[in-house]
Amino acid sequence: MSKPVTRREFLNLLGAAGGSAAALRVGVALGMLPVSTAAATPDLLDLGRANRRVVVLGGGMAGLAAAYELGKHGYDCTVLEASHRCGGRVFTVRHGDLIDEIGNRQYCDFDDEPHMYFNAGAARIPSTHRHLLHYTKELGVELEVFINENKMAWVQDDALMGGKPIRNIDYTTHTKGFMAEIMGKALSSAELDEPFTEQEAETLMGMIRAFGDLDMDDLYTGSFRAGYAKGGFLEHGVQKDIIAFRDLLKTNMGRNLLTANEGDTGPILMQPVGGMDMTIKAFEKRLEGKIRYHAMVRGVRVRNDGVDVEYEQDGVRHTINADYCFNSIPTHLMVGMEHNFPADYVRAMKYVRRGEAYKAAFQAKSRFWEDEDIYGGISWMNNPSQQIWYPTNGIHKPKGVILAAYDYGGGMFHTKMTHEERIEAHLKDGEKIHPNYRNLVEKPITIGWHRMNHMLGCSARWNRSRGGWTHDEEIMYETLQAPVNGRHYFIGDQISVHSAWQESAIMSAHWALADMDKRVRAELA
Amino acid sequence: MRSIVLSVLCLVGFASTSVLAADAREPVNDRYCTTCHGTDGRGNEGVQAPRLAGMEDWYLRHQLENFRAGVRGTHPQDEEGLAMQPMAAKLSDASIDDIVGWVGSWTYVPAEPTLTGDVNAGQRLYQTCATCHGQNGEGNATFNAPALAGQNDWYLVTQLQNFMAGYRGAHPQDARGAQMRTMAKSLGNEQGIINVVAFINTLGRSK
Repeated sequence: MSKPVTRREFLNLLGAAGGSAAALRVGVALGMLPVSTAAATPDLLDLGRANRRVVVLGGGMAGLAAAYELGKHGYDCTVLEASHRCGGRVFTVRHGDLIDEIGNRQYCDFDDEPHMYFNAGAARIPSTHRHLLHYTKELGVELEVFINENKMAWVQDDALMGGKPIRNIDYTTHTKGFMAEIMGKALSSAELDEPFTEQEAETLMGMIRAFGDLDMDDLYTGSFRAGYAKGGFLEHGVQKDIIAFRDLLKTNMGRNLLTANEGDTGPILMQPVGGMDMTIKAFEKRLEGKIRYHAMVRGVRVRNDGVDVEYEQDGVRHTINADYCFNSIPTHLMVGMEHNFPADYVRAMKYVRRGEAYKAAFQAKSRFWEDEDIYGGISWMNNPSQQIWYPTNGIHKPKGVILAAYDYGGGMFHTKMTHEERIEAHLKDGEKIHPNYRNLVEKPITIGWHRMNHMLGCSARWNRSRGGWTHDEEIMYETLQAPVNGRHYFIGDQISVHSAWQESAIMSAHWALADMDKRVRAELA
Repeated sequence: MRSIVLSVLCLVGFASTSVLAADAREPVNDRYCTTCHGTDGRGNEGVQAPRLAGMEDWYLRHQLENFRAGVRGTHPQDEEGLAMQPMAAKLSDASIDDIVGWVGSWTYVPAEPTLTGDVNAGQRLYQTCATCHGQNGEGNATFNAPALAGQNDWYLVTQLQNFMAGYRGAHPQDARGAQMRTMAKSLGNEQGIINVVAFINTLGRSK
């Protein structure tokens, strides 16, 4: 049994943690306009009558964006894609699609309908990702709002309320209420309100009351914000019972629930209508004849005045002699190919670790979540499957595809299981929220990104310590970002400090294009 | 001539393992090897997948069969084996034939040494190994001992560690592995492993 903390001790803790002094520090960053409103594409020189041959390795978001821009400015560009499909980790799975996980090859058996798809990789576009949004606009990719946080979705933890799922809104309303009560008490104590003027303290107290919906005595006694136990429309609503703070503290999921609309998922999120790969398809359409599929790179040789790329397609070996090469092959795969990269480059390639993210999906025989007042959004579970996502698309249609698991941290737990074991694990986890779950879902697909053919990993991981990037890691990152001989560029979200986002992939490509453009301008001057 | 015959065999094998479903599904085959094991199976340190080029066909076949049967790659501490096992578990006899033939068609490129150790100490330790694997690490099919020279040194280190710890070779049906376990233990410790592999690095290989 842990020692109880008295109110006095708690207030001292607050003070020791910086308390109000920190809050009064001048916010230097305030007032600055966000830089993301800058130009969304690099201003490349039109080649005119000059010729430049470029080979792009990998037809993911970075490679296709690069090829598309180069094509607009007169470059002769070829994309080599090792797989049967473009997109890489922008992967929408539909009826009949091959999921080429090594050791767990599957064909998707979802019903053949436009809304029956699963975004197995990238799944959300934040409104601040201007470079990606620029392309969706320019390419005519129709977008819709994606529902990420849904207060009506469930929270389940075996340690919370005897394992019974509760609504997100119950958890967050009560937790915020109790937190506000503590904050209010802290503010009214002499030590802490000292730095505030009376007006400031009053304003702050007003926010605290509103944050937690405190009563007249600044106590939390429940809130209609969690909805009504009954009534609320034709008769007065009856307040739901409060869940005791001590009970709410039995789970540590609050840290996820209270920050669901912050950080990367803070902006309004969107998705292309019909699947995340609609942007990829639009690029492919505009790059017709320039993409070679099943074209597996064997070697990359950088010369002083260009790059030779050898690849194999249908058992035949080919070589492209290009002026420039944009390479989005994951660094951990490039290590195993023929190349003549300098030693510091190779050291960095070997250093980057591969991500382990894992996702699974079920076709639901009916949209049972809509009967529970849930339309889109995420239920959180404190078990390895972690999340259930309900589709924003296809509302009120007979069926839908739900995300059954998303292990975005160390996904090897499920990756190491057989396909059948994975499915059973997700059914077991999910039925803690939806009692008849295993009878409500069918046609599972599971995807361990660590084992996907031609990728063998989710997003690149550069830093290994919790304390952030080391100096050495910064140096290796800059090494891989810089071109070899001014001719070979690594691109992709792997060459960013914010991997796992399409925006990072595009920006890495634009960085490389801008750098190449400077060199081309100098040559042609 | 050998490579031409193998190429023809590969094409036949390739066709026989392809699956073309009626509703125009993406055709597939089991030739995944180079994704992990690198161009022409040269080995890829980036994903800890060893060199396959130059590996004896009998050894490759035996290991694929071991993986398929779960005799190898099922110990929870065998990280790399665990990645290989599910892939092999799905292989048909025809696919194994195809893969063995395909691997045999690749050009062998010598592995680059990545570690340094006490070569002299390693040479003394290697005398035990030489009994089965040959004085030049060339391997000996009679003793079911594969060639060691020319293999990626980091892979040899991992496998010796695995044998020593019982992550490999401890399966009741792995008689050859059990034999190797006993020998690996004679290297004593981590430094012994590094030294013996450093010596193997000096043996070179031209094939």
